[in-house]
Amino acid sequence: MKVLAFSGSPRRGGNSETLLDWVLSAMGKEEGVVIEKIPLTEANVNPCRGCNACETLNRCVQRDGMDVLHDKIIDADCIILAAPIFCMGICAQAKALIDRFQVFRSRKFVLKLPVVPPERKGKRLGIFLSTAGQNWDHVFQGAVPSVKCFFHVIDVRDKDIHYLMVNGVDEKGAILAHPTAREDAERLGREVIAELRKRLEQ
Amino acid sequence: MTVKVLGLSGSPHRHGNTETLLDAFLDGAGEAGGETEKVILKDLSYTPCRGCNACHKDGVCVVTDDAITLIDRIFTVDCLAVSSPIYTMGITAELKGLIDRAQYIWARKFILKNLFFTNEHIANHKGIFISTAGLSWDNVFDAAFPAVTAFFNTLGFEYYDNIIANDMDRYKGIRGHPSALNNAREKGRKVIRVLESSRDATDYQ
Repeated sequence: MKVLAFSGSPRRGGNSETLLDWVLSAMGKEEGVVIEKIPLTEANVNPCRGCNACETLNRCVQRDGMDVLHDKIIDADCIILAAPIFCMGICAQAKALIDRFQVFRSRKFVLKLPVVPPERKGKRLGIFLSTAGQNWDHVFQGAVPSVKCFFHVIDVRDKDIHYLMVNGVDEKGAILAHPTAREDAERLGREVIAELRKRLEQ
Repeated sequence: MTVKVLGLSGSPHRHGNTETLLDAFLDGAGEAGGETEKVILKDLSYTPCRGCNACHKDGVCVVTDDAITLIDRIFTVDCLAVSSPIYTMGITAELKGLIDRAQYIWARKFILKNLFFTNEHIANHKGIFISTAGLSWDNVFDAAFPAVTAFFNTLGFEYYDNIIANDMDRYKGIRGHPSALNNAREKGRKVIRVLESSRDATDYQ
C-alpha cells in the first residue's frame, strides 16, 4: 500500500506537519505500508499559469517538481494533504499544488480520459489534515472546497476523503498540548490503512 | 483631494476575464475623477509567507521584497480593488501569497496592538473584490470570500462590494457576458462618488 503525503506548510516541524507525522507513524506501524512524505518547501511546485494548455495537451507545459510528483500521485493508494490555515484560507504553498492538479481535471472532465486505471477506481482514499491559529469553528470553511476539488480530480471520491482539522493552535508546538489531536491522528492513520487493506484485497 | 484607486490583478495571465473586469471597474473610477493605478501581481517578486511568526514579536516581516512595498502603497490609497480568477474553488496562489504576507500588519493590530483603524478611517477606505469563474455554480466564489475579508479587515478597508461573474465557460469569456463589464464600470463610478461624499461628511464633522 502506497501512501503519498504532502506537507504544505512553509514552517517545518510545525503544527500541521506534526499532525501529519502522527498519522504517518501510526500508518508505518502497519504491515506492508510504504510511505513517502513530500515537504512542499522542497518540492519546487510553481503556481498554475492558467494557460489551459493541459485541456488539449493532457500535460502541463511547466517543467518543475510536478514532473516527478505526477506519477507518484497516480500510483498512491492514499494521498494526504496537510496544510495550515493562513488568513482564513489554505496557505499559498498548498494552494499552488492544488491548482496544479488542473492537469488531472482536464484529463478527467475535458478530455474524458482515465486518471487511474479502471481496476483502482473507487479504491483510493484521501486525508486532509489542517491546523489553524484561530479557534473559530468556521476557520476551515474557506479551505475545504479547494481540498475537495484536489481529491475529486484524482479519483478520490467525496465520501473517501477523511478530515482532521484542529483549530486554536498557533505557535510552533502548540499542538503538542492539544488534548485529543495525537490520539485522533493515530486512530485516523490506523483506520485508513485498515479500510485500504480491505479494499485492495477485494 | 482626488480619490486614489489601486487595482491588483492576481491572475497569472494577462488580459484575461478577471483583468478585463478589473479594467472596466478602473475605467469607471477614472471617468468619475478617480486616480487609478493597476498592479500586476505576477510581475512583482515576492515569496509567500513563511509562517515564521517573527512579526508577532516586532510587527516587521523578516522578508523584504515587493510584497512589503506593495502593502506600503496600499496604505496610500482610498479604494483597493483586489482581483483574482477562481482556480479550484479559491483565489490564485499568487493572490493568496500576497494576502498571507499581510500577517505583520495583523500582528501589529492584534498582538502588539500598536496599530488601530478608526471606524471613520475604515468607512473612508473601500475594498472591492473582483472575480470571474468558469463554472456556473452559485457557490463558486464562497471559498474566496473569507481570505479576501481577512485581507481587507487587516488593512483597514471596509469590504464594500463584490464584482463577480461566474459561468465564463458558457459565455465564452467576459466579453460575452450580458452585463458584467457595464456593471463593473458603473460600480467604478459609484465608489468614487461614495468615497467623495463620505469624506465630505467626515470633514464636516
